[in-house]
Amino acid sequence: MAKYKVSADIGGTFTDIVVEDNTGAVRIGKVPTTKENPALGVLQGIGELVGDPSEIDFFVHGTTVGLNAFLERRGAKTMLIMTGGVSDTYTIARGHREELYKLHYRKPEQLVPRSNVHEVQERMAWDGSVIHELSEADFKPIIEKAKAESFEAIAVCFLHAYANPAHELRAREILKKALPDISVSLSHQVAPEWREVERASSTVMDAYVAPVVELYLHTLKAELGKSGMDKTVHVMGSSGGVMTDRLATERPIATLMSGPVGGSIGGCELARRTGLKNLLCVDMGGTSFDLSLVVDGQPEMTSETVLEGLPLLMSIVSIDTVGAGGGSIAWMEAGGLRVGPQSAGSYPGPVCYSRGGTQPTVTDANLFLGRLGNDSLLDGKMKLDSTATGNALTVLGAEIGLSDREIAEGILAISNAKMADAMRTITVGQGIDPRDFTLVAFGGAGPMHAVELARELDMTQVLIPRFPGTFSAWGMLQSDIRHDLMASHIGIMSALDESLLDAEFAVLEEQGRDKLREENVPEEAMTFARSVDLRYQGQEYSINVPIKQSDSIASILELFHSLYERRYGHSQPETETEIISVRLAAIGGFEHGDGGAAFAPAHGDPKVGTRDVIFDGANHATPIVKRDQLAPSKTMASPVIVEEESATTVVPPGYTIAIDTFGNMLITAGESA
Amino acid sequence: MTSSKAHNNPVTTEIIRNAFNAIAEDMNASLIRSAFTPIIYEGKDCAVGLLDENGDVLGQSLGLPLFLGNLSLCVQIVAEMKGWDYYEEGDVVLLNDSYIAGTHLNDITVIMPIFSNGQRIGFATSRAHWLDVGAKDAGSPTDASEIYQEGMRWPPTKVYRRGEAQEDILNFMRANSRFGDALIGDLHAQIAAGRTGEKRMQGLIERFGYATVTAARDDIFAQSSALERKAISAIPDGEYTAEGALDNDGISDESVSVKLTVRIAGERMEMDLTGSASQTDGGVNCGYTQTVSALRVAFKLLVNPERPVDGGTFLALDVVAPEGSIFHAQEPAACSWYFSSLGLLIDMVVRALSSAMPERAAAAHYGDSMVTIFSGKDTRNDDAFFVAVEANCGGWGAWDGDDGQDCLINNVNGSFRDYPIEVFEHRYPMRIAKYGIRQDSGGEGEYRGGNGSYREYHLDGDTNLSLWFERSVTRPWGLSGGEAGLGPKVEIIAPDGSVRDDLLKTSAMALKAGSIVRVATGGGGGFGDRAQRSEERLESDRANNFVT
Repeated sequence: MAKYKVSADIGGTFTDIVVEDNTGAVRIGKVPTTKENPALGVLQGIGELVGDPSEIDFFVHGTTVGLNAFLERRGAKTMLIMTGGVSDTYTIARGHREELYKLHYRKPEQLVPRSNVHEVQERMAWDGSVIHELSEADFKPIIEKAKAESFEAIAVCFLHAYANPAHELRAREILKKALPDISVSLSHQVAPEWREVERASSTVMDAYVAPVVELYLHTLKAELGKSGMDKTVHVMGSSGGVMTDRLATERPIATLMSGPVGGSIGGCELARRTGLKNLLCVDMGGTSFDLSLVVDGQPEMTSETVLEGLPLLMSIVSIDTVGAGGGSIAWMEAGGLRVGPQSAGSYPGPVCYSRGGTQPTVTDANLFLGRLGNDSLLDGKMKLDSTATGNALTVLGAEIGLSDREIAEGILAISNAKMADAMRTITVGQGIDPRDFTLVAFGGAGPMHAVELARELDMTQVLIPRFPGTFSAWGMLQSDIRHDLMASHIGIMSALDESLLDAEFAVLEEQGRDKLREENVPEEAMTFARSVDLRYQGQEYSINVPIKQSDSIASILELFHSLYERRYGHSQPETETEIISVRLAAIGGFEHGDGGAAFAPAHGDPKVGTRDVIFDGANHATPIVKRDQLAPSKTMASPVIVEEESATTVVPPGYTIAIDTFGNMLITAGESA
Repeated sequence: MTSSKAHNNPVTTEIIRNAFNAIAEDMNASLIRSAFTPIIYEGKDCAVGLLDENGDVLGQSLGLPLFLGNLSLCVQIVAEMKGWDYYEEGDVVLLNDSYIAGTHLNDITVIMPIFSNGQRIGFATSRAHWLDVGAKDAGSPTDASEIYQEGMRWPPTKVYRRGEAQEDILNFMRANSRFGDALIGDLHAQIAAGRTGEKRMQGLIERFGYATVTAARDDIFAQSSALERKAISAIPDGEYTAEGALDNDGISDESVSVKLTVRIAGERMEMDLTGSASQTDGGVNCGYTQTVSALRVAFKLLVNPERPVDGGTFLALDVVAPEGSIFHAQEPAACSWYFSSLGLLIDMVVRALSSAMPERAAAAHYGDSMVTIFSGKDTRNDDAFFVAVEANCGGWGAWDGDDGQDCLINNVNGSFRDYPIEVFEHRYPMRIAKYGIRQDSGGEGEYRGGNGSYREYHLDGDTNLSLWFERSVTRPWGLSGGEAGLGPKVEIIAPDGSVRDDLLKTSAMALKAGSIVRVATGGGGGFGDRAQRSEERLESDRANNFVT
């Protein structure tokens, strides 16, 4: 009986499905997302690719349910309880402005209005010692209100709870006893880090999406179960690992960035398979351009992010986003040409979509220059109108004294340069030389721009993964179970007791082990990655330093100074170094095939035609080839355009293209590899 | 695109324009992430600028608005003093002289010339607030009467000369600050920001060529200037005035008048400060360059606020500030609290032009930084000396269409954030028992002024307190019939229970362990007639306890 591993990336418009069978062969599908009950779309996709869902052995999916509930403000009716005297900190939200020259500035809207923020008397000191005991009587009116007004979730954030959680834990007991059906989120569990506003904000987010995520997972599991898929439902977590539906229900905030993370994890798997350890991953779609780094085979992580102005403390794969995509609009201002950040989206979309768009976009420029053919999208199922595009470009060009061709090339040059600036920020800006990296491009539009983006940064190698349009879903299939644990640990490194540090990690490791056991991870598949956040005394921002159990304090410090030097161009070894927190990633490894047998090209002549394509102002008769029929081992010279159902790869003159044994397309600068 | 392309290609110009702004952003990120003192990394009391070889702005990132365009002026003034050849490859020039840079001595400007093939092609510059530059009291004294009491004063000084660190100077600086290591750390952070700018700018020149980059620059400046002139033309010609006063100069009890006339004529705007007070003994004075910067902030609030600033911006603005006035102070005027006069001045510009530009105007905000400074010994930490400097948020003015915001940092302080209680209590030996929104402090109106804040500190040990609270004389005024917001209020409660509530400004006042300090900031002015306030808004005010 065939066994399948299946992943589903449930996006706003489409659900991408990737199926890997027990020979390692991969198939992909794309079905419309069924918003009301996403399980239906998933089941349709599975039905088309697998047939019998009971043959599925492992299922993981990425979901935007939590994120959308937040973005559309459809989350639970939530209350926040804070320490007496300081609950306004949440509403004040640190008092800063994100736009400086604006008399009519408004703060980002909080998820809980001030009228639903309540106080109970209690107080911990900075070192976790108790100043005031918890006043249990203070809960009474709050509980009455929660009952009377049908609250669904409560967030609790007490001062210094990361140093001593006793009062928060007792608060949950009290609340759960009186309100057994309500979901309670405690700040020291959601984000055990100092800074009460950011921690309260994270805890509220967790509480706010909890009932929605829980209901969703429950429904999905039931629907899949009905169809015969009785295995655990896994969810992609923001930190790049998968978790079971049960743990996702406990910590719903961890599912918030479920979707985009798949691409970065796919990047890590590519690094493992190809031996290319340093990757700059870019995902370009219609409206945005996402960037992430894989350094030495590991994803770059961050411990803090901001969503619509609301701060969130959580371990998350570091993804930067800029507003540049196929739909970015070209416009004029004071005689200057601008591209984006406004996007035409899918509706009205680019001029060539014939849906009413009149302003030329990046996609229109690609079409005009022949990089995209009239029949390139969805294997020709969607026709593009190049006449309308040409007219729109002529009109815009006339305003600025450029021909239609010049303006089309200009639009691409400007948007490529903007994306390249973002690529510089995450590399050069952090002391990383992008020339040591391979560019991995995916998403619908990524492969179309990849080679020119690489050229902007003097990167000589580009990798377009097999099935770039569903790469995020593929990435989810390659991930392991992962739990990120941390503990605040503020002290001076030179005075640190090594055994104490080790003991602290041992505690986290035990917690991690318990979590992995709950998910039935066998002991031998468990690994634990340690790191510490360090900074010079007096600084705020820290650097995460990965360490091994055997590392001495001196070697950890040495590593810190060198990482600091790399990032900022100087270091200060004579200054005391502070340790802020200890972090542990508890990883439960799945067996991943090496994909060796995975790729078998279809037989046939890959070349299906020739098209005039403009590169650097000149016309080139450029062969059009079908990706599905490109065989490994043979190399090709550019210019060439490689088409497949979900993406088009554009390779300007001067490059060599090869297909590796996994089906990845490697594009290298130079006439022959 | 390649460098062989003709000059003034609009595509190349746009690519270069985006690159200038991206470089400035990266410089700023580098500065903030490697800074050593919270006033920079939390307060964002800093600014960066990427400048061309003439010192004109190519790109700048969000930072302290009050430093707007000031880095450019510093580079140009130093060049006037010493000639452009003073700037040599590998130099790091440091400067904080109030009569050149315009602000107080705590603001350190770092200028790093950028060279490419031996030719000076621009400057990477930054300014950041250093915690302590060796004034008579820790942080900044509130009662200095001469600049010599306010700390070390550096005319243009090379701390790196052709790439060589000037150890003697650095050691001298370190030795004269209460926090010498942090001072050197913050200098390094500024140099790191400069190196980022230098590297990226050199890359840009290498790629496009100097001629192309300068041609693009000229186009970018021309675009900005054209947009600006267009915006000014849309304002009705005429003379607009406003007048207000600071409570006092921190030493005497007399108020300090601020007088402004704005003249719009066609495509030009003039801001004239004639009639404002002569320089005072107390530190509310500033150098001319900083006055120009403040007026640029006001200008930017009203004219094309969404556009990035570059060398083409502010060309249509003329400034008149009489020599010897608080806005064009001469040695030895004290300048520690220069921003109070300027904060008021910025609000005056908005007030003067509110009739001409009603769609951009708003009632007054709470006005000033409202600073508390605590210093003393931390008994938890071997009696180590500490200084905690905080600016407090307050209410903003309402406008035609919405209420003012509660508890927002004042306009000159940009993206400043308050200090998290948990971080504060870790670092300093005191507890913040209360922090909240000050009910009823916003001015009433159809749209309500925002409320101020209150914050209550319980001191663990003997502690010195400095205060700088403003705007009790000229209270935050309303607009179109809206009422004024409340002014600030400070209460100091001694361990024996006795209360002092008559102080808004004081310098290094000794308080005993167990004392309580309660500070409250003012609210914003209201807009329109209070009788017109909608039922819905009244209900929300009550439900959320914004008013009693």
